[in-house]
Amino acid sequence: MKTELEPYLTAQKITKEFGSVRVLDEVSMDINSGDVVSIIGPSGAGKSTFLRCINLLETPTSGVLRVGDYEISIGPGHKHATKKELSTLRRNVGMVFQSFNLFPHLTVAENICLAQRRVLGRGKDEARVRAEELLERVGLKDKADAYPGRCSGGQQQRVAIARSLALDPNVMLFDEPTSALDPEVGAEILAVMRELADDGMTMMIVTHEMAFAREVGDRVYVMVEGRIVESGEPQQVMSKPNHPRTQQFLSAVMGR
Amino acid sequence: MFLFILQGLIWTVVITVGGFAFGAVVGVAVAGARTSKSVLVRIVGRVWVDVIRSVPPLVWLFVVFFGLAELGFRMTAFQAALVTFSLIASAYLGEIYRGGLASLGRGQIEAAQSLGLSGADVLTRIISPQVLRTVSPSMVTYGIGLMKDSALASTIGVVEMTFRANQVTQSTGQGLTAFAIVGAIYLGLSIPLGLWARHVDQRIREKYVVA
Repeated sequence: MKTELEPYLTAQKITKEFGSVRVLDEVSMDINSGDVVSIIGPSGAGKSTFLRCINLLETPTSGVLRVGDYEISIGPGHKHATKKELSTLRRNVGMVFQSFNLFPHLTVAENICLAQRRVLGRGKDEARVRAEELLERVGLKDKADAYPGRCSGGQQQRVAIARSLALDPNVMLFDEPTSALDPEVGAEILAVMRELADDGMTMMIVTHEMAFAREVGDRVYVMVEGRIVESGEPQQVMSKPNHPRTQQFLSAVMGR
Repeated sequence: MFLFILQGLIWTVVITVGGFAFGAVVGVAVAGARTSKSVLVRIVGRVWVDVIRSVPPLVWLFVVFFGLAELGFRMTAFQAALVTFSLIASAYLGEIYRGGLASLGRGQIEAAQSLGLSGADVLTRIISPQVLRTVSPSMVTYGIGLMKDSALASTIGVVEMTFRANQVTQSTGQGLTAFAIVGAIYLGLSIPLGLWARHVDQRIREKYVVA
């Protein structure tokens, strides 16, 4: 029997190997609709790779992934996702990158409109209205016709968030969204993310912002060397970590 | 005399524009091959580029015109010139494209994919417009070079400007005037093109790059 508590997103035993190096080792995660999940851990633990497996930007070596109604088994003997499936999955799952990755030859508004028009088939005016709405929400309405090169890093990241939101995704993935920014500017981005969380967006965040993970997150996963070593409520994981690796990691980042 | 030589301009232009156009199209495939995931395809692309660029254009012209004729592929001088310059341009323009591709961040393509854009959309709306803009000055520079190289076609009998200047010299002995005219026409074509390339380059820098 299906219950209403069935998680919106399930990752089962996601394994990723680059050559002979196992970057992810059977990572599993269930995420309910509206949950905000933080993934923390030392550099090189595979956090970003895991996030990139969720929208199949990186194809796992094996595992099962389910997002909403779409489920795919990956590994020897399973067929690849079709282009159509990929497109459906990806417009359902937004992604924000560490390095913003705006399209520099398009204006801010065009950045936000392109996928609305090409992927969702929205009309020109409809897409533009949606873009302006979102720009207002992230506080950049006056930048609609500027090129990304004329925007600061913090502004670019807010545009990138608006660009993802324009497709009305059900899940947003954030891959170290503040790591390339000054702390003060990073705080602006975190404020936008906090608002999104308050509005009930389902979010997976790879981050080094411990305070944010603690305050906004519903759950924290600690990843070390391609495995989840610990997970739970942020308060509990961060104040009373069980795993020695978590303790070591937290004391290293908190001690700064 | 001026008008007689100027009549050759049409062939200079046809060979240059034709070679450039074919080269520009085939060059996409060359750049694609050079950046392919498959090692074998990359090697084919590499060999194509290296072999073409390592041999002087004049030698290629003779290989295509005289060499292929010996093997039974008879072409007119004009056809041979067009084929030769197309092949050469494909190698050079392919390398120019590849340079432009390398300057395009991988992150943008991933962002486009993460938005669900199709491969065709990524190519036509994200990659091509940016690569074309960054490489257009180099392409124009190459085009100017190609135009000058097209004079080589006179050696196999294409009646373009240089060929006609040579005819004038043979019959009247006024080589200085004849070739000064040819030089002036080349100059008159190259300089505006060069200025235009610089102008375009400047505009791109102002528009997209933070000051």
